[in-house]
Amino acid sequence: MFPLRINNVSKIFKNSKGQEFKAVDGISLNIEPGKIYGLLGPNGAGKSTLINMISGLLLPNQGGIELFGLDVVKDSNKTKQLIGVVPQEIVVEMAFTVEEVLYYFSGMYGVPRHERKARIKAVLEDLDLADKMHERARNLSGGMKRRLMVAKAILHRPKLLILDEPTAGVDVSLRQRIWALIRRLNAEGTTILFTTHYLEEAEQLCEYIALVDHGHLIKSGKLKDIQQEFSKNSIHFELFDRTAAPLTGVSEVGVEYEYPITSDLATDMAKLTSHYNHNLKSIRSEAASLEHIFLKLTNSGLSS
Amino acid sequence: MYSNMWALYAREVKRFQKIWIDTVFNPIVTVGLYLGVFGVVTSGQQIGDLPYLTFVYTGLLAMLIINNSFSNPSFALVIAKNLGNIVDLQLAPIAPWRIGVAYAMAAFTRGVITLCIALLATVWFIPGLGLPEHPLYFIFALFLTGIEFGMLGVAFGFWAKNFEALTFMSTFVMQPMIFLAGVFYPVANLPSPWSTISLFNPVHHNINFFRYAFTGYSDISPIISLLVILGFSFVFFVAMQILTKKNIVLK
Ligand SMILES: Nc1ncnc2c1ncn2[C@@H]1O[C@H](COP(=O)(O)OP(=O)(O)O)[C@@H](O)[C@H]1O
Ligand SMILES: [Mg+2]
Repeated sequence: MFPLRINNVSKIFKNSKGQEFKAVDGISLNIEPGKIYGLLGPNGAGKSTLINMISGLLLPNQGGIELFGLDVVKDSNKTKQLIGVVPQEIVVEMAFTVEEVLYYFSGMYGVPRHERKARIKAVLEDLDLADKMHERARNLSGGMKRRLMVAKAILHRPKLLILDEPTAGVDVSLRQRIWALIRRLNAEGTTILFTTHYLEEAEQLCEYIALVDHGHLIKSGKLKDIQQEFSKNSIHFELFDRTAAPLTGVSEVGVEYEYPITSDLATDMAKLTSHYNHNLKSIRSEAASLEHIFLKLTNSGLSS
Repeated sequence: MYSNMWALYAREVKRFQKIWIDTVFNPIVTVGLYLGVFGVVTSGQQIGDLPYLTFVYTGLLAMLIINNSFSNPSFALVIAKNLGNIVDLQLAPIAPWRIGVAYAMAAFTRGVITLCIALLATVWFIPGLGLPEHPLYFIFALFLTGIEFGMLGVAFGFWAKNFEALTFMSTFVMQPMIFLAGVFYPVANLPSPWSTISLFNPVHHNINFFRYAFTGYSDISPIISLLVILGFSFVFFVAMQILTKKNIVLK
């Protein structure tokens, strides 16, 4: 059974002038158990909107979403129990301590009272927050609040963990910490779906990706396969002087250039090095980066 | 799964326990001040067989339950909306109607705690006031009033977009309804048409029924008041359901 099945889902928002706008447009996607999926795309692509519909916060205008075979609208109480969600926005309680926040929130997922304290302690240790247990949640730093949000999402041991931009605004060492925990949960059998607009991060982490842009799913599948497909038969290079006369057949892809392999790799490499010579900053024929793939698919940048 | 709902209830009870100074002293100070003033001004006056002070006192206690059970959920929810914490309610596997019930129960709990504190601190200053005349009705009155205005508070809390909206409703709807509900005088003493209009004020019936349960004195038939309370409870329950659902699952 698929942990998540999204079937032709659309979401229409109305702006203040009453104009309609499709934030998610006919997306279909299945997620297999035990994997790590990255839902990738620039800001405003519709990632959070899709996540919110999966989480039962927002009703789709069209299509259906199933979590472990249950409809997220009709069976929302059951589906909400099966997933853990880390929303994009950081929110904290004003009056409660870290422990209190976790104690009541896990209770709202049915974690028995006598088990809560032990689980809270273990999760806080994993997230390096144990010494903040009795601190008021609102006094935590931004990174700590983010980790508290992660803790809230995993205390009831969800089968599918959904994280919306879990590493936004979190420094590098802390990201590693969050990812180490997510990898461990995944190794223990939790399926992971996360969104990010940092493509390099996704490249390191996920086995499967889904690329979205302007509400459309533009590509999905195994990361390796997609990279294979896009790096077949071409060489990528960077130049110091971008005004230099290009070799015929070379195309510009973001900061990089691409040259399709016509005869064989060695001959074409030689052709490029002799043409550009000392102007070459880097050259490679390895797998295409996600950044590169995204640019090819959308002809646009991600740096919006 | 009722345990999920009870955890939410426990959280909301914890929330007002955290501000225990307010919870404890607010009722004592409110009732104490009113009593001080009315005790001096009205000493020796009677309404029927009832000393005027007892009349006002029982009205004040009912007002206290109404105020507390109304403001507890409405403020908690408007704050949650403004801080974004409402997402906790949206994510958790608790049906919208149970979310409403959990908040209303917490509100009722606050109303009862407040009442007990005020009673313990001030009943000694009311000469001749003993245990409630009709204990069963008294429990009814307490429970129904707390839940009724708890539900109204939940509905307001979900309805109000911000504090201005909430304050507006409190100042221009709730306060006038409470003050025109016969806390300080029997509504029958009002010139018409106000005496008739007051009969349509839901709060009047809560105060009347509570006072009847406590002292045996009633402006109008207590059964009518009880029926009106049940009727409005039903209306507030429906309003609470609709507004809760609308705010938990967004369109
Ligand atoms: N509640 C809403 N009302 C109107 N427009 C919205 C709402 N939520 C999101 N949008 C719009 O939908 C688009 C997709 O937003 P979002 O899903 O948050 O993107 P992402 O998470 O990929 O950055 C954006 O253009 C955003 O402005
Ligand atoms: Mg987003």
